[in-house]
This record gives sequence, C-alpha cells and structure tokens, in this order.
Amino acid sequence: MDNIIEIKNVTYKYTDEDKTVAAVNRVSLNIERGSFTVILGHNGSGKSTLAKLLNGLNKPTEGEVIVDGINTKDEKYELEIKRRVGMVFQNPDNQLIASVVEEDVAFGPENLGIEPQEIRKRVDDALKSVGMYEFRKSAPHKLSGGQKQRVAIAGIIAMTPSCIVLDEPTAMLDPKGRSEIINTLIHLNKDKKITVILITHYMEEAETADRVIVMNDGEIIDDGTPKTVFKNVKRLKEVGLDVPQTTELLYALNQNGFKVDTNVISVEDTAAAIAAALEDKKD
Amino acid sequence: MLNDITFGQYYESRSPIHRTDPRVKIVLTFILIVFIFLSNNIYALIFSALSVLAVLLVSRVPLKMYLKNMKAILPILIFTAVINLFYSSKGTVLLSFWKISITTAGVYRAVFTSLRIILLILISSVLTYTTTPNDLTDAIESLCSPLKYIGLKSAVHTLAMMMTIALRFIPTLIEEAEKIMNAQKARGADIESGNLIERVKALVPILIPLLMSSVRRAYELAEAMECRCYNGGEGKTRMKRMKLSVIDLRMSIYSAILCAGIILLNVLI
Amino acid sequence: MTILEVKGLTHTYSESSAAVTDAVNDVSFGIEKGEIIGIIGHTGSGKSTLVQHLNGLLKPTAGTVLFKDEDIWKNPKEIRKIRSKVGLVFQYPEYQLFEETVYADIAFGPKNMGVSGDELDGRVREICNIIGIKDEYLEKSPFDLSGGEKRRVAIAGVMAMKPEVIVFDEPTAGLDPRGREDVMNIIKNYREASDATVIIISHSMEDMAALADKILVMNKGKLELFDTVENVFSQGERLRAMGLNVPIVTRIFAELIRRGINLPENVFTVEAAVEALKKLKEEDGNA
Repeated sequence: MDNIIEIKNVTYKYTDEDKTVAAVNRVSLNIERGSFTVILGHNGSGKSTLAKLLNGLNKPTEGEVIVDGINTKDEKYELEIKRRVGMVFQNPDNQLIASVVEEDVAFGPENLGIEPQEIRKRVDDALKSVGMYEFRKSAPHKLSGGQKQRVAIAGIIAMTPSCIVLDEPTAMLDPKGRSEIINTLIHLNKDKKITVILITHYMEEAETADRVIVMNDGEIIDDGTPKTVFKNVKRLKEVGLDVPQTTELLYALNQNGFKVDTNVISVEDTAAAIAAALEDKKD
Repeated sequence: MLNDITFGQYYESRSPIHRTDPRVKIVLTFILIVFIFLSNNIYALIFSALSVLAVLLVSRVPLKMYLKNMKAILPILIFTAVINLFYSSKGTVLLSFWKISITTAGVYRAVFTSLRIILLILISSVLTYTTTPNDLTDAIESLCSPLKYIGLKSAVHTLAMMMTIALRFIPTLIEEAEKIMNAQKARGADIESGNLIERVKALVPILIPLLMSSVRRAYELAEAMECRCYNGGEGKTRMKRMKLSVIDLRMSIYSAILCAGIILLNVLI
Repeated sequence: MTILEVKGLTHTYSESSAAVTDAVNDVSFGIEKGEIIGIIGHTGSGKSTLVQHLNGLLKPTAGTVLFKDEDIWKNPKEIRKIRSKVGLVFQYPEYQLFEETVYADIAFGPKNMGVSGDELDGRVREICNIIGIKDEYLEKSPFDLSGGEKRRVAIAGVMAMKPEVIVFDEPTAGLDPRGREDVMNIIKNYREASDATVIIISHSMEDMAALADKILVMNKGKLELFDTVENVFSQGERLRAMGLNVPIVTRIFAELIRRGINLPENVFTVEAAVEALKKLKEEDGNA
C-alpha cells in the first residue's frame, strides 16, 4: 500500500497554565495516497492539533510524522513539506492575503519561486478546479463565505500539493456554502487525484469518504469505512458528534423495537431502510 | 458613520492614463508636482493649470469626482489663503483695519498659493483614481527595489507585504467594527451623544473587541501564510511582471513637453 | 396581545456601505406576546437587516415598527430605550466581550439602562442562575473562557437587560454539537423563566421544527411565508425553490409516502416520526 503520510506513535504536548496537556496521545495512523479521509471529533478532541502535525506546523513531542518519506522534523524540507501537504483553515477571512482573488491564489507559487507564466497557468487552473475562475478579479470581502473558502482551497491547489488537509472548513458557512465545499473536495479527490483529509464535526460530511477516523481526548477511538463507523450511533453521540437526523431517527426506531439497518445516512437510504423494516413486520 | 470611509478611490476606465504603467505614473506625478511648484509667475501657473485640466479630461474620470476631492480640502485651502492674504506688506494697500492691512501683493499671493495647492491635489487625484491600490503597492515595491543593493532588501519586501495585507484587511476590519458597534448599541451603549470624554470612553467597548479580534486574525493569518510557504520573501517571484510599453513612452514625452513649457514661461517672462 | 408589529418595512442600503448587505422590501407581520418565531431564508435574503429594525439599530427607509402599538421611532432621541425591551443577540456574540470580568461584561447592558446597586447585582446573578454560569466564573476574564463559554456569557449580557422580546441571529453558528445543545437549552430556560417572546434566525430546519411556534420565511428581501410550522413545512416545493428545505424527517416521510406507505405528511421531529411509525406498526399488527 502506498502511504502518503505515516504517523508513528505521535504524542503532542503543550503547556497551559503550568499544566502539561497531551492534545494528541500516542497516535499511529497511515494515510493512503489518493484517499478521502474524514477525521471526526468535537472541539478539543485533538483533531486540529493532529492536522497541524501533518504539515510540520506542529512538531511531535514524541514519535514521528513521515510525509512522502520525509520526516517533518527535518528542517531542510520545511517548505517542501508544507507544499506537499496543503492546509485550509476554518475562518476563510483570515487566510486570504491579497485584495484580488487571482493575486491571492498566486501567493503560494510566488513564494515557491515559480516562473511567472507557470504561475499564471496554475492560478487559472486552480481557480477553474474550484469553480471560481469568473471571480478572479474580485475582492475577497465581496464574496460569500463559501466562495472565500473555495479561493483559499485554490490557493493551496496552485502549489500542486499531493495532499490537502482541511481543518473544519465548513464550520462558519451556511448550508449552501457547506455543500459547495464538500462538492469541491469530492471533485478534487476523484478527478484531480489529490489526497483529502477533512477534519469536521459534521457526520454527514463523512458520508462519501473512503475512511472515517473518530478522535476523542487526543486518541483515535474508531477507524473504518463510514458504514462501519456510523453503526455505533450511541458512542458517536457520547463523544459529542453531530449525528444527522437520519441516523438519529434510525437509532430511535431501533430502540423502539424496529429492526432497521442503522448504517445509512442519506434520506433515500434511510427511507429504504425503514420501508424494509416495515416489510419484514408484515411477513 | 464608518460607511463614509472609502478606501482606495479607483475609478474603472480604459483611458490612456489608466493603461500607463503605475511606476511611470508615480514618477511622472512626482515630477509634475515639482514643476507646478517651480512655476514662479502667473503665466507659468496658468499654463500648468491648463495642462492639469487636459490631464483630467484625458483620464476619463468624471470631473465631479475631482470636485468631491476639492471639497474635502476646502478648509485647508481657505486657511492657507487667509494666512497668505495678511502675510505680505508690499504692494498697494487695499483694505486696512486695526494693525492688519490687505495689499495687492497679499491677494496675489493668496490666489497663487491656493491655485498651486489645488493643482497639486488634482494631479495626485489623477494617480489614485486611475490606479488600483494593488497596482500602487506593487509599483512602490518595484520603485523601492534599488534599495536592496544597499542592504534594505527585506525592508522593501516587508513594507510591500504590510501594504498588501493592510489593503486586504481594511474592509474586513471596517465591517467588523460596524458589527461590534451594533452589538454594543444593542446592549444599550450610547455612542453618539455626550461630551468628548464620554464619547472617548464609549469607544472602549468597541476598540477592545476589535483589538482582540485583530490579534486573533493576525495569528491565524501568520499560520496560513506559513502553510503557503511564505518565507520572508526569499526567492519570491511575481505572477504579474510590469512591462513598459509604448503608451508609457508617450506619456513621458507629453509630460516632458509640459515641464518644458513651464520652464520656458518661467525663464522668458 | 401583539407585542411587535412591522408595517410596510422597507430598507435600502446606500452603495457606499462597506459591508455586504441585504435589503428588505415592504415587509409586514405581527408577533404575539410569548410566541417563539423562527426566521429562515438563505444568506442575503434580508433576515439580518430585518431583525436590526426590531430594536432600532436600523431606521426604516419606509414603513414602521410598532412595539406594543407604539412606533419605536416616535421620538428618535429615545430610541435607546427600545434596546432594553427588544434584546438582540448577534451572530458570534462572543466578539462583543470587552470587560475585565465576566460579571462586569454581563452587567454592561443593564448598567447602560440605568440599573445600579443591588438591583444590578441581583440581575446579573439571576441570569447566571437561569442559564448556568457558575459563581466561580464571574471574576474570570471573559477572554480566558472557551468558545462555548464565551458565547454563553455574551448571551447572558443581553438577557440581563430583561428584554420582553429577545432576538437571536444564528445563535449556534460555528459551535460543535455540545455547544449547540447548550445554547438551545439556554434559550429554552430563559423563556421558561421569563415568558419572553423569542425570535430565532437559523439555518437548521430541524431546530426550527423542534422549537418554533411559527416560521417566517424571507426570500430576496420579501416576506414569503409567515405561518405555523406545519403550514410552512408542508410547502416543500416552494421552500426548495428558495434554496431552503424541510426537516430531514419530513423528507424521509415524503419518500416513504411516495413508496406507498400510509403515513401522515405533517411530521417534523424525530419524536413525532417514531410515534407515527409505531402507530402504523400497531395498526398493521391488528389488521
């Protein structure tokens, strides 16, 4: 198996008011190249700290993070690691640097010293891949939250990363903005073959992922396909995750003596599961 | 009340002045300002005024926008004119009261100085109306680039980066200040009335949250920049390269003719 | 009793405004005392502009806002008084915190209203009691709290003014599930303790279904619908045309009905859905 990121027994500690806290505690994890992985967890579960460990923004207190064979502690490759593992944050306003969209997208490649014609090409391609090309001359503050976040993603794509990590990119967006971002990510993963690691507390965003990892108190408590992970509704609720209403309904039905399949998320699948359970009863 | 602040006065058009390289525009504006100040007789100054008028027309920016700028500096204009009016004691006395007298030389001086200031503001307005704030920033960085040969390279880059970020965040911060102001007003804060001290005190509930949020933004922005391989400008390239073209040459020649005209009028009359 | 009445409200922004803003066009409705009103509409539909008129932060370009049958702009100099009667909790209210202690920040609103001494102290403690801010937090700096705690303090700051109508603009935005649940509980607790009229702007149809008596739908600056939860959510097609939707449970039921299963359409919450399905199962069993 070709792993783009290997996390080997990593602990990350920080000091808060004289107390040492392990935000990430002895985590081992491999991310397969080309995969779409969702990391779920509530605020303070350590998921954001883990994200920053992936591109060397945080350096492990113990253990190692290996990106494409390079250790993130290796200072020689500081920039190269950040180029390969691009990162998008929660607040779109605080990651756009220039007051014209295309100039903002050019910021990464410019820092890397790419030739001007090549930058132009990359900027246009990146903006097209997130569906923001027609806004290339706009000022960021005139855009909606979802549009700004797509520009932020384009800014990362323009650095031609092999992997993109997004730390709660939809938390501040309205439903329309949220679906814009999720669709963009699916497109980048499927069509551009970019490895995606999406960190979120919305379970429904994990529906189309290849793999779901659940974090709590700095540790991985579950890891598998969406279907296997979502079976355990009770546990997900216990660790403070946002369980979609479809799952909630199926779970409630099960507790009320219905025998329904609980590992589905979409409205259609849920209806089908309920219909199937009702059919069973009749037999 | 923050709505009144407009930042950057760019007026979109495709005039020859708009299409001139921003670096050339900055340099020419500077030279023209110097020559306007060198106009030492009324003929040279009238020639300058006509030249500036020509530039305004070529810029294809509505004249009323220039007038708006004039209105803003009216107090300064009146103040300078009045000072100059009383300053000179030469010439025929036109009016005299108490210890002050107004002379023909004083009137001449007042008109002369006011006209210079008006021309100065107008020609600078041409620059800001026809150049986007971004282009201005890039041009200043480019014009400052010779400084890197005397060991100021990172200073030039830092300055340019600061200007870029300021341009980007001023609208965001204005919007945020408005939101905070509304939130405090909703809690009954009285911002509009009271004496000066009360008004300054009333700003605290707005300034502290604004400061806190700016610090947070700065921190997050720094992290985001790091993730986009920002390295203090080391080895940085630019997507857009400014290139001089025929239009820049033409603009330079026109400007040279204007300057020559001013010198001739200065010397001959 | 009609506590708030909006008549022909129109608001247009001047172009120079820095913020991305949304206009409101000829909106009229009335709200009865004690009701819980949900306002839905996509971003830019005018809902934020609308609610800023209810406490006089914005002045209508045309039309009037009546609080207990009196025009709030009757005497513009007195406009500040309406702010203690109609409280407004903005989006991300934690960014309004500024005082040195949690106590002082909660006291800021009532103090501006001229409340002082024992009454002020009583108000702060009463509100902290209702929404669960512990005593030991009162002397802390609000900036040392977690995101969810900050929001709780900021909401308390508006509630401490004891408004008769309290408006929340997306009170749960950006919070994780636990934070969201906390905020929804705070709103419920406050309402039980004060019988205030509550207006909530939200993107969550599920929250609206669980909480609201009536729903007001804004679209492109116009009031599109203002009716009971049942009557609004029965118009799925119309809502979808505006970029909105009905609660997920309602969508599941619509799909089941389409599959020929005999279920009611007016089901909006998980509890109601379980009840309806249980009933269906029993009927089948009897048949």
